[in-house]
Amino acid sequence: MRCREVEALWDELRSEGMPSLRDAVKLHLLSCPPCQELYEEYEGVAFCLSSLATPEPSCDLSKKVVEHIADMRIKSRIDPVQLATVISPIGKLYVGFKENRITFIAICRGEGVAKICEQVEKRLRRQVVNTDPPQWLLDTITSFFHTWKFDDSHVDLSDLTPFEQEALKAAAKIPPGEVRSYTWVAEAIGRPKAARAVGQAMARNPIPLLFPCHRVVDSSGKLHDYGYGIEMKARILQMEGYRATKP
Amino acid sequence: MSVLAPLLREFTVPPAVQPAPKTKTQKPAPSIERFESIVDDYQRRLYGFALRMTGNREDAEEIVQDAFVRAYRALGKMLPEQRAELRLQPWLYTITLNVTRNRLRSKKPTNVALDALADPDALLRESNEGPAQPEAIVERDADMALVEKALLQLPMHLRAAATLRFIEGRSHPEIAEILNQPIGTVKSHVHRAVRILRRILGPQIGRIIPQGANLHALS
Repeated sequence: MRCREVEALWDELRSEGMPSLRDAVKLHLLSCPPCQELYEEYEGVAFCLSSLATPEPSCDLSKKVVEHIADMRIKSRIDPVQLATVISPIGKLYVGFKENRITFIAICRGEGVAKICEQVEKRLRRQVVNTDPPQWLLDTITSFFHTWKFDDSHVDLSDLTPFEQEALKAAAKIPPGEVRSYTWVAEAIGRPKAARAVGQAMARNPIPLLFPCHRVVDSSGKLHDYGYGIEMKARILQMEGYRATKP
Repeated sequence: MSVLAPLLREFTVPPAVQPAPKTKTQKPAPSIERFESIVDDYQRRLYGFALRMTGNREDAEEIVQDAFVRAYRALGKMLPEQRAELRLQPWLYTITLNVTRNRLRSKKPTNVALDALADPDALLRESNEGPAQPEAIVERDADMALVEKALLQLPMHLRAAATLRFIEGRSHPEIAEILNQPIGTVKSHVHRAVRILRRILGPQIGRIIPQGANLHALS
């Protein structure tokens, strides 16, 4: 073995596996004084690192975490999502809401309400209670399908991460009937390299339609993908007045 | 074989954190119902890791809190079979590292962070009312602060590899799992980290090694 090859294997000497490799490294080191010297320096650095004191967190860290999580649990139990069914121009919608803010929309694909409840519980970590749609909710949905816009005082993204919230709010700035790329959204929120993360945020959008992830497409202009199928994406865009331009 | 023994004599560094015994009675799959015990079991080592990565106590605590909240949410969304297969420790390290990365990306480390680490009190974990420290201990604290500063000068991916390997005492396959990298890449990152640290610390390494340790065990 050459010195360079052996150098890359020094760390094997502290590993349990591959005894033959360890022996080969040892043999080389014993016969090569320059390597020995470097190896000792290497082990010296390892020794320095392993000698660092194990830092102690403040004594209430564990308590703070547990309390925060207990709060989350209580919030989830005492502040459930109400779920109502609304008929829209694209079919039946299941709409989740808390007080007078929408937190979840699912386009019905024939699955039962139990399946939707499960989805809401998973995505928003809240219990779900079935209810009739209140008037403000019907008005919000009806108005959306007329104007393709919505009043943001009637939506609630607070169960999402800050990044997801920013990405969805940026997507909501895309005018109806137009499309923008994932990169455009990433740039709009000041994270130009986060186009893939934007894609994830769009895929996990709990309030599709209102937060128009359907207006976010490939940089080539292809519709890319949609949770309810690419045909549904095309259909909603077409209803909004979007005309795909052929490349 | 005995002729080879000196090689490992002085410099075999024990893992900083005792690895969990391998053949214990099978633990129940991690769940949100027993999340408090997960917090108790892992908060100290995740905090240590976050502190080495950021060099700042407040940041490290916030990172650990954030990481646990994310872990809790993710666990709540997992199917029972996913939870049964989950390797909790590497998973928690991965979450902590991701939170750290996000945080450091938006906040460049400053000299303030380095100053905080150079505080011997913070390193010794002893109250100010304690007995006066012998000179040797004070000197040693200063040396350790140098090592901590040097570690913080590494690029984040090398710092993570070196911290997990030498401070957390994780194996190459474990690090590969935590960092989601091939084992070869991990080995190379560990090696590069040490090379850079060797350059930064230079002759001070010799001073830090305790007296009696033979630096030229092979000659």
